[in-house]
Amino acid sequence: MTLNGDLEVLQAIVDGALASLEASRQRIDDLNVYPVPDGDTGTNLTLTVRAVADAVDRTSAASRQSLARDVARGALMGARGNSGVIFSQIVRGAADVLGETDGPRIDAHAAALALRGASDAAYRAVRRPVEGTMLSVIRELAEEAEARANEGPALGELLVELVRRGEIAVARTPEQLQVLRDAGVVDAGGAGLLELVRGVAATVSGEPLPAPPPERGQLGIEAVHQELSPYKYCTVFLVEGKDLDRDGLEDDLEKLGDSLLVVGDANALKVHVHTDDPGAALALGTAMGTIDGVEIANMHEQTQDRSARLLAAVPDLPTATTGVVAVVAGDGNRRLFETLAGALGPIAIVEGGQTMNPSTAELLAAVESLPSEQAILLPNNSNVLMAAEQAAANAPRPVHVVAADSIPAGLAAMVAYDGSRSAEENAAEMRDAIAHVATGEVTVASRDVELGGLAIHKGQWLGLAAGDPIAGGDDFTDVAAAVADRLLAEPRDLLTLLTGVDAPPVDALVERIAAGHPDLDVDVRDGGQPHYQLLLSAE
Amino acid sequence: MDLTTSNTAIVLDSTADYPDASADFANWRVVPLYVNFGDESYRDGVDLSGPEFYARLPSAQSLPTTSQPTPGDFVAAYKELGDYARIYSLHIGATFSGTYQSAVTAAADLGDGRVRPVDTETASVAITMLGLAIQRRLDRGTTDEEIEELIDRYKREHRLLFTVDTLEFLARGGRIGRAAAFAGELLNVKPILTIEHGEVVPVKRVRGNRKAFQEFVHAVETETTDSTTVHFGTAQAHAPERADEVAKMIRHLRPHADLEVEALLGAVIGTHAGPGAVALFWFTDSV
Repeated sequence: MTLNGDLEVLQAIVDGALASLEASRQRIDDLNVYPVPDGDTGTNLTLTVRAVADAVDRTSAASRQSLARDVARGALMGARGNSGVIFSQIVRGAADVLGETDGPRIDAHAAALALRGASDAAYRAVRRPVEGTMLSVIRELAEEAEARANEGPALGELLVELVRRGEIAVARTPEQLQVLRDAGVVDAGGAGLLELVRGVAATVSGEPLPAPPPERGQLGIEAVHQELSPYKYCTVFLVEGKDLDRDGLEDDLEKLGDSLLVVGDANALKVHVHTDDPGAALALGTAMGTIDGVEIANMHEQTQDRSARLLAAVPDLPTATTGVVAVVAGDGNRRLFETLAGALGPIAIVEGGQTMNPSTAELLAAVESLPSEQAILLPNNSNVLMAAEQAAANAPRPVHVVAADSIPAGLAAMVAYDGSRSAEENAAEMRDAIAHVATGEVTVASRDVELGGLAIHKGQWLGLAAGDPIAGGDDFTDVAAAVADRLLAEPRDLLTLLTGVDAPPVDALVERIAAGHPDLDVDVRDGGQPHYQLLLSAE
Repeated sequence: MDLTTSNTAIVLDSTADYPDASADFANWRVVPLYVNFGDESYRDGVDLSGPEFYARLPSAQSLPTTSQPTPGDFVAAYKELGDYARIYSLHIGATFSGTYQSAVTAAADLGDGRVRPVDTETASVAITMLGLAIQRRLDRGTTDEEIEELIDRYKREHRLLFTVDTLEFLARGGRIGRAAAFAGELLNVKPILTIEHGEVVPVKRVRGNRKAFQEFVHAVETETTDSTTVHFGTAQAHAPERADEVAKMIRHLRPHADLEVEALLGAVIGTHAGPGAVALFWFTDSV
């Protein structure tokens, strides 16, 4: 089957779907169950669909089949976050079916088959499918399409019916999933999927979208770290002064590099930028006020001097069999990972975490950048796990994903790493190391929430242990100490505290913990991660 | 020839970390290596005791260096043991030090065939524990054949694990092989190391001393039974409380076993392991 106009139709459909989703991106971002400042789902899905749009724009496919392949590939390579990865499987399932169809246009019958393929593929991608998510929404869409296909509706009519069914399915997600019910929200992934279907329906049926879509433009600050940096120096500094012009500084820094973050207020701004000219970045700061806390790290020369010196005494160190790709947020954390890899084997850091989920393609590129034959992939965030698994499955060399779901868990795994062993052996040792670590975090609640019987107001401190909210309130030390106590409920030897951007002082916290646990070693490090003012782990 | 404690002597070098050997056993001697602080040279365990060494280390301008005994030192010791018909001269692995070579040279120089220098391929208390295994056989009467067999088996079967606060000291001395890559002082990372056939080999990394000691215990649990035939030794570099903790864990785990040595690492081994190092040694021997 030749293309015969397919490409133009597809372009229109993808653009329509993307426009619909972008119009709701912020709303979907705000649907996150856990009140951490997590820009995930709307942003992740948007970026994933953009990747599909780019794949459609770039394709040189000469047949419907190869067009379908390009689209599925584009979705996978651009998939970000769990929702993006599941969506990429939905795209693949549908593309596999539609690529095999002939006839000039896709009809309702083919659409039903495609949705069934999409639903099956999505369920296959998830180890333990949960109802009340994107999965149940795509499945209900497939069921609806199958039920109506025999009546022979026009595709546009069918799609309008699917939007109706989708709305019902999304509205029902809180009934299916306790955590949604508690938080009083619908599932973000399901909601995103519905907006995509709405966009497709509007395009195919010719009905206008409810609201005009914004142009493909700037993303939120949380998306900044998603691209691998081509620049050499990671530059961090603080500007202090009066009436600091954040936007102006950001505009000027924008010209110097990437991975730009300018956060703070009129009296103090924290700057993070990857650039080849750190001097110019600092000069922008001194032009506005006084600068402090300057850190310039040469990202291309990450090996610690000490390791290099020790290594120099060992001329014939065998090349490592297994390297590591770790998804890490925060310069301090990055250095910890790099130091732990040290001379034991190569490590590639992919910037990202809670709100900056790297794509499958970025993870794959990082794996391929390693000089080792095999690799370990540390997602260090549950939102990155699926992209990591996709990257591992698509990598041209053996890659084992060690499912660390936090930075501290990833560090515990790194302690067990030894590049001279196979990825399989490393994975076993590293998983064993993680199994003995309890983790928690302290963040600022991004909205009012009631979870597990706790009423926590927007802007208050929120403490989580093993992913569950367990404490909240106005006093950072109280909340952090409650998390620490939970982690130390069973006897532990070592408590690690990784402080984040804008973390309050931890001296009082450390003192309180030491008083309650005299035998405990407490190790405090400047992790520099965004969003989580404190990451804790006990082992 | 029937070998007994009255006709067979055991010579150690000071890296066996048993400065009191000749006081405890009439047929044992220790030949010291040298520790050099700048231009000043001290005989390990003779002019400079372990505690004196660790007291001096923090104020030292630069780290001390060490050097092997001269063949002349060995000739003197062997001559002093003129009443003994056989001398087993047990030394630190030849990959770590020229000590064994000095002993071989001395034995050849004497040319009387009494001395059997042994490259133990190990270090510290592991050398002492080989001496004790030989002594147990001398106590009941033995032969060269039985001792040679024991030495071969000891090289294969004796086990040791150690951990250091920093690999800097080992690295400075060179020859630590791939263990160098285990450096990682951030996050309280402790390398667990062993010695296999004269080479320092990394085993794994853990965080914190307690984790390290748990790894020691875990290895002992897997590799031994609770029996009087299992012999243990500990050693520490200026960290007695750590060695005590290890000893306590071992006594608890293997109450019937024989904890026969609890040593302070002397100046030479201390120079290479660095303060804070802790080691556990074990060997199963039915004699």
